[in-house]
Amino acid sequence: MINKNEQISPFLVFFLVLKVQIGVGVLGFQRLIIKSAGNDAWIAVIAAGLLFSIIIWCMFTLLNSQKQDLMGIHTQLFGKVLGGFLNMIWITYWLLMGIAVYRAYVEVVQAWMFPQINVMTFSIVFALLIYYTVSGGFQVLTGICFLGVIIPSYLILTIFFPLEYTDFRNLLPVWNHSYKEIALATRDMSLSYMGFSTLLMFYPLIKHQKKANKWAQLANILSLLSYLLLTIVSIGFYSENQISRYVWATLSFWSIVEVPFIERFEYIGIATWVIFILPNICLFIWAATKGTSILFKVEPNRISILFLVILIVMSIALKDRETINTFQDYMSYVGFILYTVYIPILLCLSYIMSKIRKKTHEN
Amino acid sequence: MKKFPFQKSNQSQTPQFNEAIQQLKESKDFTSFMFGLERDTLCISYFTTLIDTDILHRDLLPYLNKSSSTLENAVQALPIENLLFTQKPDDMQNHLLIGYISITMEGKDDQAVLIKADSQKSRTVSLPEVEFSVIGPKESLVESLDTNLNLIRKRLPIQELKVEELIVGKLSKSRVAVLHIDGICDKKNVSTVIQRITNLDVNQIIDSSYISQMITDKKNSPFPQFIDTERPDRLAAVLGEGKLVILVDGAPHGLIGPATLVEFFTASEDYFLNWTMASFFRLVRFFAVLFSILITPIYVAILTYHYELLPKNLINTLVISRSGIPFPPILEALVLELVIELLREAGARLPTKVGQTIGIVGGIVIGTASVEAGLTSNVLLIIVALSALASFTTPVYQMGNTIRLIRFPFLLMAYYIGILGVAISFCFMLIHLLRITTLGRPYLEPLYPPKLHSLKDSLIRLPFSFLSKRPAPKHKD
Repeated sequence: MINKNEQISPFLVFFLVLKVQIGVGVLGFQRLIIKSAGNDAWIAVIAAGLLFSIIIWCMFTLLNSQKQDLMGIHTQLFGKVLGGFLNMIWITYWLLMGIAVYRAYVEVVQAWMFPQINVMTFSIVFALLIYYTVSGGFQVLTGICFLGVIIPSYLILTIFFPLEYTDFRNLLPVWNHSYKEIALATRDMSLSYMGFSTLLMFYPLIKHQKKANKWAQLANILSLLSYLLLTIVSIGFYSENQISRYVWATLSFWSIVEVPFIERFEYIGIATWVIFILPNICLFIWAATKGTSILFKVEPNRISILFLVILIVMSIALKDRETINTFQDYMSYVGFILYTVYIPILLCLSYIMSKIRKKTHEN
Repeated sequence: MKKFPFQKSNQSQTPQFNEAIQQLKESKDFTSFMFGLERDTLCISYFTTLIDTDILHRDLLPYLNKSSSTLENAVQALPIENLLFTQKPDDMQNHLLIGYISITMEGKDDQAVLIKADSQKSRTVSLPEVEFSVIGPKESLVESLDTNLNLIRKRLPIQELKVEELIVGKLSKSRVAVLHIDGICDKKNVSTVIQRITNLDVNQIIDSSYISQMITDKKNSPFPQFIDTERPDRLAAVLGEGKLVILVDGAPHGLIGPATLVEFFTASEDYFLNWTMASFFRLVRFFAVLFSILITPIYVAILTYHYELLPKNLINTLVISRSGIPFPPILEALVLELVIELLREAGARLPTKVGQTIGIVGGIVIGTASVEAGLTSNVLLIIVALSALASFTTPVYQMGNTIRLIRFPFLLMAYYIGILGVAISFCFMLIHLLRITTLGRPYLEPLYPPKLHSLKDSLIRLPFSFLSKRPAPKHKD
């Protein structure tokens, strides 16, 4: 069974969830939601946050009743063949999510710092870093998630710089958009909240699993609040027209940060962002690796090497902004379905199955 | 050990003490002579270079019963508390080699008496040199294990302080003592350490640092995983915190384990000062370490890639200082860092007085001259010198070495992709730190896994009234 030393205390789930929720998306989520909901975008942020609160609850209900990870649940409910197939879908999703996050970050680096960067060499260095983390085990991964929240947390202070120039009257009039527009924005916003599906894999590694739900919910609320803060400041700071032209609105905030000895603060921000997104990518790669090693009974380190090679190849293959965008849109569409449709259905099925099993047991 | 033979053993099986003594006589400094009134009955042997002849003359020879016929009778009146009787010639040889005197009886070649008479030649307890502090105790460990144990035990006069002694090394036969306080220290740690030390298969243990390198969890890590200290007061203090201490005979340094990263930045002085000052100094130390690791790489990163990162006035200063310098920033920085290392290494090898001269020649003359010759920029000279200085603020000497070493990969990464490279190297370092365990415990504790109550005495030191949660010894009923 699982070694006690490898298990983590439930409150660290807070950092694991928070970390994957606030990833590379936070650098530029504003454009997407303001596009459809305008100055009411903040409503979409809250709505999406609450929606994901429910989904987290769904996940925990499912996991608490089954007491095993997603791989186990699938094989138990659907048998080896169909369950294995569903497992493959999730593994692919996690792997591609890891690549999407990584590529999005490289995109930021290319756009803001090094337009001429050699993606292959950079990816090899980064893949080494990921391998070093993932091969260290889940404890190390949790550790880097924890430090990945604590160390860059100073960046939240930079929100005070644009405050000087914000005009909160931009928020008015409240609710001048249709339900449909807000729903669209909510769907777009939900991309930013995604990522905690890795919970389905690391659930068995939590001590006192029942307590973890509380921490995951808290993390969700905190990411809701930080997104809300950013959205409100963005609405106040930019005009709607302006923001539709900014791919990375948060990064543009940093351009106006003034510190006596630093002129271009966004460089510092982007460098700090390495430690911010490294845990995200590692968590996804770890979940995919762990799933595959359970499915095919192979040594995890070899699989993670294979996955990292895929990561390097994919990030070279995704060349221009457009392909990356299409890829990310596609990923978020799949993700949205997996979270909001698949998980609730799985919960219902698991509930029904356990009822049936109970009945047959009684008879 | 103290066994009396009640049956006369068979002549063919009697241990040959005579032969054993003859073997040892091949050494010039071995003495063996017959001693007795009428017949030469008693054979007294020892290494003249190992024993204290005063003991022989004052306490041994006058009290021997020269006319007795058995060995027990002969040594009965000796004013020595611990007489060792042995029937094994090997045992006798081993004891002779660590400063015992053996007495055998001529004709009765079946047992020997061993008397401890080793001369305690060691330095006197003196001032700590590596970890000097202005206030607080001024004693430091010496090379003698017994003196060191005395220094610790007199600070902890409780029965729970346990000392386990092991002999390590096929050639050196070094005594290694493992100390812990029963009821505070984790039993598992004690047994792990003892197990690891017993499993060592080495010829010589010259210093405690041998042990620390051989029994660490991650042997390839540049980060030290045992604190090395020469202050007995620090050893006594950490014993009370549930750590265990390893002392080696012949080493004026004790090892503390399991040691976490934060503890390498705590000095004994932190506890002698008021908590506000202590916390301030600790923060200064952490800042110094970060500064020391990051500042040269950041300089290289900025001057190679990100001129625009700095405000105009600052970049002006930098550019003016660099104008006319024929090397790229990375080469300039690497060369200067290596020069500082060279100076440090030369200073460490040279006798104190010459070392000072070298410091002046190296630091001032070469520094000024190279700036005037246009080989280095004076800003970088300041930065490199400061970061070298900052690396010496760590209270544990080995940590300072580590910090100076890990700066080089940072430099190379900074040359590769600027501050992004610095950030990536920093991540590598963090993950490395997360992967290290000391005696099975995470190295970054209490930062990760976060332990709130231990945080009170980590990056800062809160007043003693806050630190009262420290475990007190549990008395056994």
